[in-house]
Amino acid sequence: MATASKPAAKVATNGATKKAAPPIDDEDSHGLMGASGQGYSWEEEYKRSWDVLQEDEQGSLVGAVNSIQMQMKRRRLNKDTKVVQRGIIRHLYLVIDLSRAMAELDLKPSRVECTLALAEQFVAEYFDQNPLSQLGVIITRDALAEKLTELSGNPTDHVDVIRKKANREPRGEPSLQNALDLARTSLAHVPAHASREILVLYASLTTCDPDNIIDTIDALRRNEIRVSVVGLSAEVQVCKTICKETKGTYRVVMNEGHFKELLFENIPPPPIAMAQNMSNLIKMGFPITRNFDPPTLCACHHKPIRKGYACPGCSSTICDIPTDCPVCALTLVSSPLLARSYHHLFPVDNYKEVIPGPPLPDVLATTATPLAGHCFACLQAFAPKAGASNAALVGLRSARYECGRCMNSFCWDCDVYVHEVLHSCPGCVNR
Amino acid sequence: MKFDLDGLPILFPYDYIYPEQYAYMRDMKRALDQQGHCLLEMPSGTGKTVSLLSLIVAYQQYYPEKRKLIYCSRTVPEIEKALAELQRLMEYRKSQGMKEKFLGLGLTSRRNLCVHPEVSKAKWGQEVDAQCRNKTAPWVREMHKSDKEGEAANAPALCNFFEALENAEEEASMPPGVYTLEDIKEWGRENGYCPYFLSRRMIAFANVVIYSYHYLLDPKVAELVSKELSKDCIVVFDEAHNIDNVCTESLSIDITRPMLDASARSVTALSTRIDELKATNSEKLLSEYSRLVEGLRATQESRANEEFMNNPILSDDMLQEAVPGNIRRAEHFVAFLRRFIEYLKTRLRVMHVVAESSTSFLQHVKEITFIDKKPLRFCSERLGSLIRTLELTDLAEYRALQTIAAFATVVATYQKGFILILEPYENDMDTIPNPVLHLSCLDATIAIKPVFDRFKTVIITSGTLSPMELYPTLLGFTPVVVQSYQMTLTRSCFLPLTITRGSDQVAISSKFEVRNDLAVVRNYGNILIEYAKIVPDGLVCFFPSYLYMESIVTAWNDLGMLQEVLKYKLIFIETPDAAETSMALENYRMACDNGRGAVLLSVARGKVSEGVDFDHNYGRAVILFGIPYQYTESRILKARLEYLRDNSKIRENDFLTFDAMRHGAQCVGRVLRGKTDYGLMVFADKRFARADKRSKLPKWINAGMTEACVNLSTDMALAMSKKFLRSMAQPFEHNQLGVSLWDEEELRRRQEKEARKGEVSGHVDFGTTAMEGVEVAG
Repeated sequence: MATASKPAAKVATNGATKKAAPPIDDEDSHGLMGASGQGYSWEEEYKRSWDVLQEDEQGSLVGAVNSIQMQMKRRRLNKDTKVVQRGIIRHLYLVIDLSRAMAELDLKPSRVECTLALAEQFVAEYFDQNPLSQLGVIITRDALAEKLTELSGNPTDHVDVIRKKANREPRGEPSLQNALDLARTSLAHVPAHASREILVLYASLTTCDPDNIIDTIDALRRNEIRVSVVGLSAEVQVCKTICKETKGTYRVVMNEGHFKELLFENIPPPPIAMAQNMSNLIKMGFPITRNFDPPTLCACHHKPIRKGYACPGCSSTICDIPTDCPVCALTLVSSPLLARSYHHLFPVDNYKEVIPGPPLPDVLATTATPLAGHCFACLQAFAPKAGASNAALVGLRSARYECGRCMNSFCWDCDVYVHEVLHSCPGCVNR
Repeated sequence: MKFDLDGLPILFPYDYIYPEQYAYMRDMKRALDQQGHCLLEMPSGTGKTVSLLSLIVAYQQYYPEKRKLIYCSRTVPEIEKALAELQRLMEYRKSQGMKEKFLGLGLTSRRNLCVHPEVSKAKWGQEVDAQCRNKTAPWVREMHKSDKEGEAANAPALCNFFEALENAEEEASMPPGVYTLEDIKEWGRENGYCPYFLSRRMIAFANVVIYSYHYLLDPKVAELVSKELSKDCIVVFDEAHNIDNVCTESLSIDITRPMLDASARSVTALSTRIDELKATNSEKLLSEYSRLVEGLRATQESRANEEFMNNPILSDDMLQEAVPGNIRRAEHFVAFLRRFIEYLKTRLRVMHVVAESSTSFLQHVKEITFIDKKPLRFCSERLGSLIRTLELTDLAEYRALQTIAAFATVVATYQKGFILILEPYENDMDTIPNPVLHLSCLDATIAIKPVFDRFKTVIITSGTLSPMELYPTLLGFTPVVVQSYQMTLTRSCFLPLTITRGSDQVAISSKFEVRNDLAVVRNYGNILIEYAKIVPDGLVCFFPSYLYMESIVTAWNDLGMLQEVLKYKLIFIETPDAAETSMALENYRMACDNGRGAVLLSVARGKVSEGVDFDHNYGRAVILFGIPYQYTESRILKARLEYLRDNSKIRENDFLTFDAMRHGAQCVGRVLRGKTDYGLMVFADKRFARADKRSKLPKWINAGMTEACVNLSTDMALAMSKKFLRSMAQPFEHNQLGVSLWDEEELRRRQEKEARKGEVSGHVDFGTTAMEGVEVAG
């Protein structure tokens, strides 16, 4: 049911995004296509969004709509909260397919616009959630792979390069093998304690390879590189094989919203393989901030800077952290960064839904918290209890979620906020 | 899992069973209990073979009669697959503590089974056969035995494997078990026995025999292999949608000019050999003569107690008589053959098309050459006897002559159901004559009648047998169970789409009048391009004929459309040449595996459409360009249609449509090989939208065809296909259990429910999904 409700959401986003982004120039249209070549929106299948809605006994739709919305939210919430070992120092190459297939218009406004917009968001979110990690961008088109940015921890570099006009023009065929090989060789020098990952956004259904791609898969496996692919059109066997062999994930998008969801699933660090499950100590430096009055050249970019960091090992000047010291190769971080990565290792448990019904008042009476009728976080009163009285809320089931540890109740907006943003339960923290 | 089916304990080698498998087994058991024939259509990829085998093996082992199973399949890979499945089943039964003495084996040609170091290297089946016969013929062996120095030097060396088998006599039996073709070869190699002859010998002792149709249907082969099968065997024809054609083909013979020349040479060789023999050892010829006078009485005796299967060539009344006098003597027979061949040669000189019945042909033979019907009938038998007497070694050279003799026998035996057609040119446009004399069997019942008469239970099954009413008429039998099953699915894993017009709204069709119309060609090309764009990995296209494929591919090339397709996928083309096609297939699969993607252009009646599976990424979509009608101008087909109309009351159009649709269904069925698989089935012809065509598709395909997808233009179909491919790529998270998968517990519950329903009729509300495929039919 959750997926069925998407067309309605899609219509809404279409209207919004179309205005914002300029329509892509259709340089790729060729003589044979005629009117049918590109999928104009009127050629799409009819969206029967009304089919998924069903009236309740009193002929109202409110309940159905609410429950659909809620199901969507809940679905994202029910994450795996098991405590597993995760590699919080990640090195990831984002491979973006910029082949002709990206010019298709089935994602709005076009595949390429949608993908690059999401890629920007992804980069920002990635560094927000994984402050110790690094990222690089590779594009593939014309059967070649091109590295746009080296591995680095600075989101602005990557976003800038994604925004560059020359890097947004889809053409030719992609080469999966070239892209993977390029990423693999670039990841080869990464220290063993960090995870190596490749995330491919792949629109095309073919790949134009110089050699047998199966060999590349073996090489990737030997180097312990995890490859995940987000497909934009349909399931391609070779991608499936690669992901399976390298223990990555392979998913195919249904629409724009789903695309974002799938892409962002790659933001939390993946659990590390049990094979290398030995703890070892990593030497890290915590540099101090320094102001330079006459601007000094930094050791990493050779640009004059006024504010920077000094490496505790060799005292060379660094403009931004996290990074590896270009002189002594010491990993440079700051303690807030470390702390921010911490929540991946110990996620907040999922809140349990409180089942409404006749016994509810008793429960409220026994749980002696004074604010039982309110959300613990935002203090908003819960909707009238005993859903049976209000037919519209029958479909809604319950809007109360309870933390399993501190037994406080939350409304579902706060539930989402706690799990997506805060990463710690306010109730548990206050105890 | 283990369950009880109407009192019969069944061991099923998987933990879960599909509802349709259960229904299939139940119906089959009903047929076995009633000792009647049955006709079952079961969707492809639903585990037909394993349910069939586990039911029949359970049946065999449970009841004291131990009815033998004869499982006939179409191709060697299919035989291998069935054997592997049987092996798995027996291992499972063993692990469940069943102690059974069980022998299951497959039989195939010498080429696939030979282990002789030299002979097995030969490339062609006929070559292997000939070399093997040279080494194993009784007179060659006799020669080796009698004198070591003299003749033996010239004669071919013996085959050690065969000798070992012959010398071992009765002890040469195999330990019980299931042997795949590879296993039996291995076993033969280790023990020094010839696997081919060993398996032929072991047929009598085996519980399950798996071989090709021809061993049962082709009279020439059936006599050698299948005649000792007992009456209560269970005979299964799997993948039997084409069985009527196999029947007619097994009795049809084509004669060409080179064949006649070759047989004339053989006749000369025969006569010189006779002369030689007369000079050295005339006794042999004399003894042969007296044997022929005795007649075929021995054969007749054996038939009386119904031990042997009726050979359609050797009809009953023939056995009453001795070989007629004028061909008893070897030299007379040779002269007789020579005359007959000369007659055929003159017939082939005619420069216009002739179609005549066998009666009028015989009449003409008599007028011109004074050859009677009767000696012609004995031609084949007589030639066999002569070859044995003359102790000929290189039998391959006599192949043409044997064909001519078989021709004579068939033409003289049957007056009804056959037609002779002489075509002086290969195509009507040709100017260089290449005459062919077709002796064509029009009636499928002739070849299969002995099988139905002889065996109590014959099971005919396939993925596509619709419309099922037609098969009993075509094959001339009355089934006790006729059933078609649907697929129970938790997600609709195939999407049949009918494209009736292009994006420009021009109707598309492979109808002869419009097929070369530029608009149609272009629209077909557009369908290919668009699908090449959106379908991942493998895409298979079928055309009605090679001729049409060639013409349309040329046209596409001129329009630059192939170049466009090549941007997205590689193109492979099936050709009539088997080696070329298998190479194309191999590369096609490679392209599907490494992500390049490929299109395979093939023909609906070709090798690819019949025996090759395009599972998972090897076939994400099938496009059927046009309805695969037969070439209706073919004279043989016309004759057959006429015969069917007159004798079986089947209208020409009905038969043609039936034949086209079963081939179409066969083609599209290639993509779906199991419930985890998914695929698109695109029917691109406006005629597919008509109800009379659609109704002839199998029930399970029809069930997937909703009103929304029967009358689409290219762009609409594309939008639906895109959505389908996306949704199929989502992880398969639904729990199938209870809907399309039953475990032991679930099955027992259903059975109890059913039993209760039987007692208190109508009181228990049956779930709608419970037994979709099951209907009572009679």
